[in-house]
Amino acid sequence: METLRRIVGDRHVLTRSSELLVYENDALPGYHKRPSLVVLPGTADEVVAVVRALYAAGLQWVARGAGTGLSGGALADDVVLLGLHRLKKIISVDPIARLAVVEPGVVNANLTKAATPFGLHYAPDPSSQTACTIGGNVAENAGGPHCLKYGVTLNHVQAATVVLPDGEIVKLAVPADHEAALDLMGAFVGSEGCFGVALDVTVRLTPNPEGIRTMLADFSSMDDAARATSAIIAAGILPAALELMDQATIAAVEASVYAAGYPTDCAAVLLVEVDGPECGLDDDAAAIAALCRECGARDVRTARDATDRARLWQGRKKAFGAMGRVASHLAVQDAVVPRTRLAPILARIAEIGTRHGVHVCNVFHAGDGNLHPNVPYNADDPDENARVHSAMKEIMELCIAEGGTISGEHGVGFDKLPYMEKLFPGDSLDAMCRLRDAFDPLRRANPGKVVPSHACREWISAPGFGS
Amino acid sequence: MDLGAGVRVMSTVLTPSTTDELASIVRESVAAHRSLAVRGVGSWSLALARASAAATPLSMAKMSGIVEYVPGDLTLTARAGTTLVEIEAATRANGQWCPLLPWGTDDGTLGATFATATTGPFRAALGAPRDIAIGVEFVDGTGAIARGGGRVVKNVAGFDLTRLMVGSWGTLGVITEISMRLRALPAVDSTLVVQCDVEDPAVLARIDAFRRGPYVPLACECIGAAHAMTLGLGEARLLVRVGGNAAFVAESVRRLGELGTVEAHAPELWAHYRERDPYRRHFTDAYATPLAARVKRKFDPHGILNPNVLGEVTS
Ligand SMILES: Cc1cc2nc3c(=O)[nH]c(=O)nc-3n(C[C@H](O)[C@H](O)[C@H](O)COP(=O)(O)OP(=O)(O)OC[C@H]3O[C@@H](n4cnc5c(N)ncnc54)[C@H](O)[C@@H]3O)c2cc1C
Repeated sequence: METLRRIVGDRHVLTRSSELLVYENDALPGYHKRPSLVVLPGTADEVVAVVRALYAAGLQWVARGAGTGLSGGALADDVVLLGLHRLKKIISVDPIARLAVVEPGVVNANLTKAATPFGLHYAPDPSSQTACTIGGNVAENAGGPHCLKYGVTLNHVQAATVVLPDGEIVKLAVPADHEAALDLMGAFVGSEGCFGVALDVTVRLTPNPEGIRTMLADFSSMDDAARATSAIIAAGILPAALELMDQATIAAVEASVYAAGYPTDCAAVLLVEVDGPECGLDDDAAAIAALCRECGARDVRTARDATDRARLWQGRKKAFGAMGRVASHLAVQDAVVPRTRLAPILARIAEIGTRHGVHVCNVFHAGDGNLHPNVPYNADDPDENARVHSAMKEIMELCIAEGGTISGEHGVGFDKLPYMEKLFPGDSLDAMCRLRDAFDPLRRANPGKVVPSHACREWISAPGFGS
Repeated sequence: MDLGAGVRVMSTVLTPSTTDELASIVRESVAAHRSLAVRGVGSWSLALARASAAATPLSMAKMSGIVEYVPGDLTLTARAGTTLVEIEAATRANGQWCPLLPWGTDDGTLGATFATATTGPFRAALGAPRDIAIGVEFVDGTGAIARGGGRVVKNVAGFDLTRLMVGSWGTLGVITEISMRLRALPAVDSTLVVQCDVEDPAVLARIDAFRRGPYVPLACECIGAAHAMTLGLGEARLLVRVGGNAAFVAESVRRLGELGTVEAHAPELWAHYRERDPYRRHFTDAYATPLAARVKRKFDPHGILNPNVLGEVTS
């Protein structure tokens, strides 16, 4: 501890329980884990020194960005918490190469702000973008509404400097086309803080589109909205975003300060955006509107101007927040299913919700088949808590059975460990453990997350396992 | 088989037809201290030439066929030995295409294209193999069968074995199955040849501006004079493909017209163009760093998979 104080300064090592309280949870509701202490380095050199000191002391640690993670990835159970939010420098923006180099604590939306003068933006846009950090985005391989067309974090990270848990500094980069080399950069993205700490990240910046058309289509059945989604994807038009909100979500949004003018009497709305150069944009928008109508849309309206568009989006981006107002807690779920199976799966989810007496609100990236069946509830009511958990478990198992996956963007963390063996039977989890062990042989970083340790053979056979 | 004293007999090619069979071959190879040189259909001499001569050839040719293709999902899963020609035919019948279109020919296999992370002229617009792959099944150097990712287009469950396998040149595992995203064919797909002086820096700057958008083409390639001749393009040296709806393509053509005379060609031109890889692949000593060496030891502890191809473990 003295060593840590010397590295970062007294003010940046927190040990009092009142100070630790802030770091006891991330955005996964209902879980509190107290770190043994919190250390907040202010520079990359300090991070490296801290990691080396922890390595020398034989201590485990958890990296944390803004703590907006939804799978408990940044929970530190009696281990050291390494907060990175002070590293918020945008090191460089290169408008010609369309690249930016940033420290890990830079908030997602601030990077786009810095790129705006050059007509560029950082494309991955998680709904938490005004709070979450680039380091957290890289660790979770974060997505967002516009990832349908532009790709997720993985597709935008070019390089990173990483300090491995043993203190070694490595430079990772996506191999160039002419290079025959391992893509350890790709392996690092989405590693949920288990492979080391990203000290700086080089990301691609995307030109702002010349034109944007944002449409809101409303449907009298969820089934029709899901079919319209499939029809648009199958038609080969690639919208920038294709988001679905159901009746429960619309009601929550419209009753909140984020009211976006969504029709409250419909069963579902699709928020569809196409962007790109002006020529051809109206034709794509018209084709999408026609497909929605063919699938039974009652009305399709196009945002008149930028203000109108911002309002339509506000409802979507703040939907989690609006739901959060309905009850004391919000269980945010995340799963992906084949896009053609959306309609029957949504019907099954509704049935599961009814059976367990929980109120499922669907708001999700329909174009990718990335579901978010969320449930506002009171986690302090043991009965309700149990019902929510049973319903969530059934929904996860349904998504696995339908050929989907248990997370499209929020990660496994701690929350989804119980589903990993069902999703990856056989030797797959052991292979994942081996990949982790290459980065972190002593398992110092984010212990116990992502892959259940009993699935790792070398660890089971190691002396002392489980003792 | 090495009989010593420089006498060598061509060993037979191993040709498993199932993943289990392949896993047994790998396990037997570990026991017999035999190394394996993995190949698709053997169309790419470069990769084969790098594998150690002492290794026994292992052909994936029999492990072929599309496992699942749901056009509405724009996803496809196929076994590693499936040729790109087969994928192309199946997808085209549904108005879709396989976005790989790598340098070389489509006689090669899906497994080799992903294992070597081979890109092509459409990479900027359609993505590289690392962007296109959504899931992978492989047999590692101990004979264990593992899967990463899945069959859906977005997936963050577990550590990313897919990105680990793509571009690892068969040195960490033998890819047996790949799931990938597809693209819908654009409503209008135009192959254009533009007469302009690609040696003039001012023209090059304008070509670059066109490439950067907003009317981003699928491909925009300046080619050498000799290459243009072999492609039957005469003096023309700018080769462009634009795809989108009619209005988008019309505006793209108009803008290209400002560079020089635009001539339409058949899309087959690209198949010829792709035959000549403009890159000489640069092989790094991939396993020279401690981190990479640890990865290698975790997945191929006996060093039997494609020895030498990405260099040896040196640290
Ligand atoms: C209202 C709301 C809406 C959301 N919407 C979306 C959405 O649309 N799409 C989406 O993908 N996610 C969304 N999220 C989830 C969350 O915002 C993302 O997962 C985000 O990427 C987390 O960033 P963070 O900085 O808060 O990370 P944290 O929660 O602090 O940490 C997350 C993980 O990253 C690791 N980590 C953090 N920094 C580093 C680093 N420098 N090096 C290595 N590991 C590190 C941590 O150890 C942890 O495992 C939402 C969350 C909320 C609360």
